[in-house]
Amino acid sequence: MNTHKILIIGAGPAGLETAHQLKSLGLTPIIIERSDKIGGHLAQWDRLFPSSDNAEELLERLKEQVKDVEIKLNSRINHIEKEGDIFHVTLSNNKTYDVSAIVVCTGFDLFKAEKKQEYGYGIYNNVITNAELEKYFKTHQDERIDEPKRIGFVHCVGSRDVKVNNTYCSKVCCATALKQACEIKDEFPDADVYCFYMDLRMFGKGYEDLYLKAQKDFDIKCVRGRVCEVSENIEGKLVIKAEDTLLGTPMKMTLDLLVLMCGMEKAEGVERIQNMLNIKSNSDGFIESRDIFTGLNLTKERGVFVAGACTSPKTLPETLAEARSAAIEVFKYLSIEL
Amino acid sequence: MRPLFDPFVLPFVISMTFVLLYCIIGMIRIVFQLPKEDRRKFLRSLIYPKSALKNFRDLVNDCLLHTKIWKRKPLLGYMHMSIALGWFMIIIVGHFESIAFSPLRGLEVPFMPKLMSNLYLPIFFRYFAIEDLSLKAQIFSFLMDFFLLMIISGIFIAVVKKKKPRKVGLKRVTKFGIKEDLVRLSLWTIFPLRFLAESSMANIAGGSFFTKYLGFELLFGGNYNETLSMIFWWLYSIDLAIFMTLLPFSRYMHIPAEALLILLRNAGLKTTEPRKGYALAEIYSCPSCGMCIDVCPMSEVKDNYKNTAVYFIRNIRKGKRRRDVKAMTEKCLMCGKCIEVCPLGIESLDIKIAQRNKTYYKIKSDFEYLKSQQDYKTTRPQDKAHSPETQQLSNSATQQLSNSATLYFAGCMSHLTPTITRSMKKIFEIAKENYEFLDAEGSICCGRPMMLTGKVNEAKALIDKNTELIKNSGAKRLILSCPICYKVFKEEYNLEGIEILHHTQYINELIENDKLEIDRDDKRYVYHDPCELGRAFDIYDEPRNIIDNIGLLTPGKSDKDMAVCCGGSIGSLTMTLEERDEITKNSIKDLMHNNPDEIVTACPLCLKTFARLAPVKVRDIAEIVANTIN
Amino acid sequence: MIDFGFSISKSSHIKMDDVDLKLFNKLEALNPDIKTCMACGLCTATCTAGKFTDVSFRQIILMLQRGKEKEAVEKVKKCMMCGKCMLVCSRGINTRNILLSITRIYNEQNI
Repeated sequence: MNTHKILIIGAGPAGLETAHQLKSLGLTPIIIERSDKIGGHLAQWDRLFPSSDNAEELLERLKEQVKDVEIKLNSRINHIEKEGDIFHVTLSNNKTYDVSAIVVCTGFDLFKAEKKQEYGYGIYNNVITNAELEKYFKTHQDERIDEPKRIGFVHCVGSRDVKVNNTYCSKVCCATALKQACEIKDEFPDADVYCFYMDLRMFGKGYEDLYLKAQKDFDIKCVRGRVCEVSENIEGKLVIKAEDTLLGTPMKMTLDLLVLMCGMEKAEGVERIQNMLNIKSNSDGFIESRDIFTGLNLTKERGVFVAGACTSPKTLPETLAEARSAAIEVFKYLSIEL
Repeated sequence: MRPLFDPFVLPFVISMTFVLLYCIIGMIRIVFQLPKEDRRKFLRSLIYPKSALKNFRDLVNDCLLHTKIWKRKPLLGYMHMSIALGWFMIIIVGHFESIAFSPLRGLEVPFMPKLMSNLYLPIFFRYFAIEDLSLKAQIFSFLMDFFLLMIISGIFIAVVKKKKPRKVGLKRVTKFGIKEDLVRLSLWTIFPLRFLAESSMANIAGGSFFTKYLGFELLFGGNYNETLSMIFWWLYSIDLAIFMTLLPFSRYMHIPAEALLILLRNAGLKTTEPRKGYALAEIYSCPSCGMCIDVCPMSEVKDNYKNTAVYFIRNIRKGKRRRDVKAMTEKCLMCGKCIEVCPLGIESLDIKIAQRNKTYYKIKSDFEYLKSQQDYKTTRPQDKAHSPETQQLSNSATQQLSNSATLYFAGCMSHLTPTITRSMKKIFEIAKENYEFLDAEGSICCGRPMMLTGKVNEAKALIDKNTELIKNSGAKRLILSCPICYKVFKEEYNLEGIEILHHTQYINELIENDKLEIDRDDKRYVYHDPCELGRAFDIYDEPRNIIDNIGLLTPGKSDKDMAVCCGGSIGSLTMTLEERDEITKNSIKDLMHNNPDEIVTACPLCLKTFARLAPVKVRDIAEIVANTIN
Repeated sequence: MIDFGFSISKSSHIKMDDVDLKLFNKLEALNPDIKTCMACGLCTATCTAGKFTDVSFRQIILMLQRGKEKEAVEKVKKCMMCGKCMLVCSRGINTRNILLSITRIYNEQNI
């Protein structure tokens, strides 16, 4: 059994967990990663919702589990050729592997906030993204965040918006926004923090508690209305416009800091891999699973599996669970079908 | 000498009398439908020498030579010219010939008034003539044969065009019903029949290279058969009769109508009513050529080509249900490309606007947004940074808005594109312009969107209010960022003494006057002409000059007046986002033709529309300028 | 029946049982995209006329569906037709045409 090699594309949480599980099932996983770091978006994050667990600790745990696994950093796939049930994979350094299965764990990209020009990202200094705020929490280095007195969070940036061609919900931003709102309030206790949401989708274990905590303990104010425009007043402060839809009145507000909750998008460059593996995209642009009930980790192509946010926006626990189930699917495929 | 009358001329004479009467009555009707002022203007233009000269020139160019079609599609131009000019010349030369050689012409003959012989003699001259070998007669024969050949060559191209439109450079041609097919067939056969009829008796009547040598000698083998000859003459006359009788009810009505349209247009008239007067002359002038089909952005969506100008005009003419016509009117993006290619220059957008103006809206505006402008108007610039509440407090009724000579009006849409307003502010600062940002805190609308919905009074109220605001400011220049605003400010506002500029013009002026120091980059830019700047005002060179100063300008597939609407136009009232997306994608494909690094435009609406779907960065021209100056 | 005296003051409830949606159904048939509104409030927030008046596309649609036609029509009167709401709508609704449809379907006089 351990003669079977399995190629895992992507060294994010999904890839690491899949590799760990395959290894413990006695197989030989190989992870390739295009960047020079392990951990994907998790490596950029400070704390995790709903209960503010340390992201670094989790990543260390995941890394520890795969210390015996071959991980190729700075590697891209140049070419894949399928011969029978064997994939001949050529990497960018011309190294070749013959593998029996491939697990695509390419994850997601954050929505590029400058595409939503009316929010002024890249135009106004004090407009930042969720990822940049998270980096600030990690490093405390960002000159744009300078004792803000009033802070706004805009939910659904690049999600549920046909005007940026993303009509789906990114699932994690509501909880992330409230988590970050609490954290920044913790940092600047005198600041007023507002969250502009359309629907607060707090669906998982502990999420509703997070919502309650945000309201009760951190005095986060939630306004039901999507921010439409951001402008700058003479003093260089941000002025946002939204409708308070519950009151039915348009509102204007001056802010010192605006955080855009960028949603998830299909990762750049995945299409190239999809073409090589002959797997299609679903209506949201992510990779299509064979079926979402019993074939979530399978694709239409034999021997090609998927795990994590490459198929749709996912939370971290979901991603890790999917990674484990992907490992079982691969094991089943190699021991029964082959 | 042959007899002077034969019954075969009757079908022609009767139908010709009918068509002449029909056209004269129709013309009088159209002229009477014109508003009084327009009618007076029209009649005056007919006798005023300068405009009469222009009329003559345009009639020759457009009705006979078809120079406009020549410029776009030479083969089609030749086709139209050969038929129109050839036919016209055959009639003119025919008249001279009959005057010169028929002593019978004009003679009083029982049952055949002079008038009638004047009508048919030039047309059927060969039937009544006897070969004359004098040089003068030979020259006439040659000319007549020459023009006949010219027409037949044109008809040959017409047949090819019908069968294989792509051979003459057309993707799609208009689709017609049986009646139109019959008229076309009768037109196509008129001259071949004339050729056969004249050739069949060229040994008696004479002829030149075409009818005598090619026709009589080669085709008929030098034999004259009286019965056969008579059949051809009858067929020729009947064919003419079919064509003439159906002409007023077919697209060929454009032949007489075009002449009237040229006269009306040269008198400076415009459409005011969608189905009367000037519009009627335009509607009858449409030859259904279908030039507008291929260029219409809507044609990209398969079944939408039925919404193009040619079908719109045809539906009005057919008296189709008002609801259908209205639906087409409301779908149109108003990009104006159809007018640009129309060989007759039919201003179908004016007809559409006039049609929209007829819409009955049960709910009228209450103009509340205008009342609030009272406070806005009197706000002093230094108060503008504060909230609206403080604005309302500072209220000294007659105070001027600003002391600045220049006003900047960004427009509603530009508030969604902060790059434009930010870039303009930077440019103003660097150019040391003493300006006032008129709508920094928002304003009432310019009125163009309202005009496009047909709400004339509401639009007028907005225009009046803005005029008052701007005039009170005492400014000398008004700079606009939105082409939609620009169009209405230029066309509908009466801002005497105030220069109105779009920011492309303003920036270009700054560059020309060395007010901006630009650091060139090596990017390749493609420029998209917004409909309301390009086709509407021919602002093509200013933006291109600006880009030339910054980087490398590459053309799109269709440039300038043929630029494809971005799809976001507020001109269309009913188009859905999905339909718009198809147009946007097509427009982007066109712009990406030469693989530019960035798409540049000069309209906030184009910018937002393209940014959704473009594979490269889309930027306003103000932004690329602001990024390269310091 | 015993009269408790409560019937004197008018109920503030929207009586959905009495709401006549005939006109709204007509509007909806003409503009099916009206159904897709998710009440995000972008149209109202961005509205050019909304700065000066209480016009709100989102509310107009809701009011028509709840039988508050008079109030809705009052708001429709304040629209300047600029089309900014159409440009921002995150569901791609043709808001401007819906407003035009309303001014054709609903009659000020008999609602």
